[in-house]
Amino acid sequence: MPPFHTGAPPVSYNVTMGGDGFEAIVAAHHGEIYRYLRRATGRASEADDLSQETFLRAFRAYRSLPPDANVRAWLFAIATNLSRNRFRAGKRQRRALEAVRAQSSHFDGQGPEAETLFNEARTRIEAVIAGLPLKQRLAFTLRKVHDLDYEAIARSLDCSPESARAHVFQALRKIRQGLDRHELVQRERQR
Amino acid sequence: MKETPSECCAIEPDLIATATQEAEPAAARRVEEHIGRCASCRGEFEQYRAIEGAVGALRGEPLPAARLTRARAELESRLADLRARLVEYRVFPSPLGPILIARSEQGVSLVEYLRGRRALGASRLSRAAGVEAVEDGAEVEALYRELLEYLEGRRTRLDWPLDLRWARSEFHRAVLQVTAGIPYGAVTSYTGIAWKVGRPAAVRAVAQALRWNPLPIVVPCHRVVGVSGSLTGYAGNRIDLKQRLLATEGVPTLKMRRDLQIAREAMYAVSRGEVEYCLPTCPSLRSRTLVHLTLFGSRERAEAVGLAPCTTCRPDLHPISR
Repeated sequence: MPPFHTGAPPVSYNVTMGGDGFEAIVAAHHGEIYRYLRRATGRASEADDLSQETFLRAFRAYRSLPPDANVRAWLFAIATNLSRNRFRAGKRQRRALEAVRAQSSHFDGQGPEAETLFNEARTRIEAVIAGLPLKQRLAFTLRKVHDLDYEAIARSLDCSPESARAHVFQALRKIRQGLDRHELVQRERQR
Repeated sequence: MKETPSECCAIEPDLIATATQEAEPAAARRVEEHIGRCASCRGEFEQYRAIEGAVGALRGEPLPAARLTRARAELESRLADLRARLVEYRVFPSPLGPILIARSEQGVSLVEYLRGRRALGASRLSRAAGVEAVEDGAEVEALYRELLEYLEGRRTRLDWPLDLRWARSEFHRAVLQVTAGIPYGAVTSYTGIAWKVGRPAAVRAVAQALRWNPLPIVVPCHRVVGVSGSLTGYAGNRIDLKQRLLATEGVPTLKMRRDLQIAREAMYAVSRGEVEYCLPTCPSLRSRTLVHLTLFGSRERAEAVGLAPCTTCRPDLHPISR
């Protein structure tokens, strides 16, 4: 038989679309994106949902990402957008606040009394954070929990780095006001 | 509430910044200096420091492991599903008009002439069920470059992995597989393909399968002609494209009245199963019909696939002159 009548063409061309390193991105960032969305949305069920949505969106788009892109900041930006859209759609802020308050038992320590005192302050901080206006809460969480720089936060929130910083500072002031007449500092001193 | 001195007001942002590790060194020094002599601001400073500490603890806040694992597993399964459905495509300009190239995880799944309309709405992609099309450059761009090289006659092989899921049936897939094996610069007939797939009577069905070829050029249905040598159909009524592709590959065609034909007398012939190529007049050819022959536009093309010149008619000594 002539050598050319071999039927199927050779499958030697090595351009794979699936084995693309996206697994590594999921492995590296799923946990922190989930953590972020829990705080951003205030609801575990929303975090389940939106963390999946974040990575599915990322998967659709990430091949067009420039090779030097900051994948982590980009994922946070997608997650931020999704939480903002979710909020715009549902105006669920109050429900989120309630949810975090209900959840606060989760943060209560079961340890010695001193721990409990500290945790009370922390629970209070949690509640203030949950009650912040959305942009402030997102900016604050991105900066203080996830350590993103203001450039990245600004991209996520679609604002300037200066206003990203202003959001964070405004959040800090509100937390400070929320702690008025509370034990936090005295506790810290006793330590 | 006591009134805050203006100096304290002015330093407040720096104070927050310093306490929460956001300050420039110069600002931090100013704050240190100020709280050294202002007790009330020192109190504020310590409050913010404590907040920073408490907030820092949020970073290590334990996540509900079972829930996280479940969310991750669900994500993995949705990703696998998306991967299987996802098709990347792009529309490119070409000498033959706009061409859409699409590929899936398995391989190239669609090559389509877009007849002037560059919108996706004109494409089969928009009508395919269970497919998510994503416009994306990088992966498909490499394929496009190779396709251009082919169209310019600078490349004779497109060794792409093919995703034949879009073929309409197993029979169509078999036809496409056989067609994919026709070498560059060669021509065979629909009837010949029908023989190859073991259904010698299914000539019309073969023609149908190639009419729906989702991968023109890559699965070279332009190398399949009528048993009379007539070019018959291509991409609807684009016989001009078929002629052009054949010309690129060095296959001569001629116009017989209103019919475009391959120039059989100017081509070398190979009987099915033979390893030698002959002059079209060679007495050793058992049959002269295109049912059993594959024709080559040049000796070079025949020899490129490992065929030797026939020892009876000696095409190497008496090449066809053009």
